[in-house]
Amino acid sequence: MVLRDEKIKAMKIFGLFRLLTKTTFFYLIFILIAFFLSAHYLVHKANKYVTEETESIFKKREWHLTRYLNEYDSIKSFRTTHIELLNDLCDTIKYPVYSDTTVYIEELDETQLHRKKTFVVNAKEKYFLVSMLVNIDDFTKLKKDVAKRVNPSFLLLAFIIVLFSIFMSGYLLKPFHRILEKMNNYQVGEEIDISDVKTSTLEFKKMQILFRHMINRIEEDYRKLKEYTENMAHEIQTPLAIIRNKTERLFSDEAVMKEHKDSVKVIYNETNHLSKLGTTLNLLTKIDNGEYTNKVNLKTYNIILEHLESVKELVELKSLQVEVNLSKEHEFVIDPFLFDIILKNLLRNSIRYASNSGPIKLETSNKLLKISNFGNALDVSNNKIFERFYTSSNSGQSLGLGLALVKRICDLNKLQINYSYSEGQHLFVINSLS
Amino acid sequence: MKLLIVEDNYQLADDLSKFLEENGFIIEIANTLKEAKDKVGVYNYDLIILDLGLPDGTGLDVIQELKKINKDPGVLIVTAKNAVEDKVLGLEMGADDFISKPFHKAELNARIRSIIRRKNFKGNSIIEINQIKIDLDSRETFVSEQLVELTRKEYDLLLYFMYNKGRVLTKENIAEHLWGDHIDQADNFDFIYNHIKNLRKKLQKLGADNNIRSVYGMGYKFYEL
Repeated sequence: MVLRDEKIKAMKIFGLFRLLTKTTFFYLIFILIAFFLSAHYLVHKANKYVTEETESIFKKREWHLTRYLNEYDSIKSFRTTHIELLNDLCDTIKYPVYSDTTVYIEELDETQLHRKKTFVVNAKEKYFLVSMLVNIDDFTKLKKDVAKRVNPSFLLLAFIIVLFSIFMSGYLLKPFHRILEKMNNYQVGEEIDISDVKTSTLEFKKMQILFRHMINRIEEDYRKLKEYTENMAHEIQTPLAIIRNKTERLFSDEAVMKEHKDSVKVIYNETNHLSKLGTTLNLLTKIDNGEYTNKVNLKTYNIILEHLESVKELVELKSLQVEVNLSKEHEFVIDPFLFDIILKNLLRNSIRYASNSGPIKLETSNKLLKISNFGNALDVSNNKIFERFYTSSNSGQSLGLGLALVKRICDLNKLQINYSYSEGQHLFVINSLS
Repeated sequence: MKLLIVEDNYQLADDLSKFLEENGFIIEIANTLKEAKDKVGVYNYDLIILDLGLPDGTGLDVIQELKKINKDPGVLIVTAKNAVEDKVLGLEMGADDFISKPFHKAELNARIRSIIRRKNFKGNSIIEINQIKIDLDSRETFVSEQLVELTRKEYDLLLYFMYNKGRVLTKENIAEHLWGDHIDQADNFDFIYNHIKNLRKKLQKLGADNNIRSVYGMGYKFYEL
């Protein structure tokens, strides 16, 4: 059984991905999360650092300022410190208040980011509202810079990972794909390519060894099954041959035949029936075991004519006629032995069940083979005719396996067979599906 | 004519042996491959009936052995039906003909006679019973020296009867000999009566007596009168 491309495509659609696609995907997701968390942590840490640093500066300045205010009476504002006398104390609960604000620095001719702390100082029984500024512009710029570099770094890294995994998939998985190919081409009963694929990967080596074991087991089982089938055929036919011979002997014994003619006849007929049954079942088994797989592009024209020639006199003796309409180009892709069986069975059935209200017709054209004969309708439905041991009531000793055999062969060779009955004719149509 | 039957089943070998002895052959039996190889080494046979499924190997090895010791008897291999590889291989290796199990003894008889005739250019190219004479080389039939125009199947039928004269041939037997797999074994074979009627008519028109008689409603016998 070969895994075809269409099947693989279908698998891809229904949610099956290459191993390395999966690992790359998960790896990327993981990196994304790791990056994100790291970035978050770093930012958090950076902010905390800024806050701590600025707070330490604020605290120092506050200490100096408080001492100053306690010693001196005048209030002086600096650029970084703004002092106000506070008369109204009702809103003071909200202080200290932190905010970030931009301030224009004249010397640098730039606005820069500052951390502002606004708080209340108590000195000499007076309350002052103080706001202080600490330059955090460098920190902030650094933070932004880092962020700016992280994104492209991540993208570059992702790109490199993808490139790398594409490369690795070729290299690492090559032995794996080679092993897969060998498995794909394996057919029971055929010459197998038993040379090992070289690999240093433990799992692949294990897989190869396992595969080898499995093949050996399968081949062994298959060989045993074939042997069993052949033995059965042989073993069953021998006793049947003996019974038949003895019965034929009885035919020559006049005394016996006078008394037991009917019994002898029945024994003889049933033995023949059993024999035919064994042969046909054995053939079905062999076909199922794949023993006839010599497929060729078989042109049917000559073979059909040969068969018709073989049965020509038989047909005449039964007062039947055969009409042919054969295409010289018509062909089936099938083992010739199996086509022989199909043709024999269908023709045999036609001759057997044909009435002479009309001719037996055989036609080939394009991808079709048609055979039809006039006759009485069957008592069961069209579908059942291909089942094993189906026989119509007027078929006497018929095996009921002929059409089952034909259908099985068709199924295994991409041929579709249909049966229908209309206008007094039984019609079988075989359609090539390939 | 000395024949060797190579068959592991004693019952079957014995049965065939009796039948063929009645038909005028001298028979020896080998039940194993080893026995067969030994016998062909020591004795000379005109024909070997070779069952391929032996307990200690395949009958095809006997053909190899014969080649090795430069002996050239007729070889008739007995195969299971549908054993295509066996047939092909056997014939490729030099067997003269094959017959599928199970077979009618009459069929076996006909095949043996056919092989012997082919291998033995000197004798037996004429079969003659009463007024009927068949020239096997030219495939012509004569009644009292007059040529009879028989169809292919009529000729086959007459020859089969004459090879197996005095033996009851059932309708199945006849149908299988003439048409093999092409005919449905569940057929009622009544049409065979017409076949025989046509044959009789042609023979009797030129003065032959009626050798072919119906037996018990199930078959026919060719009587030597």
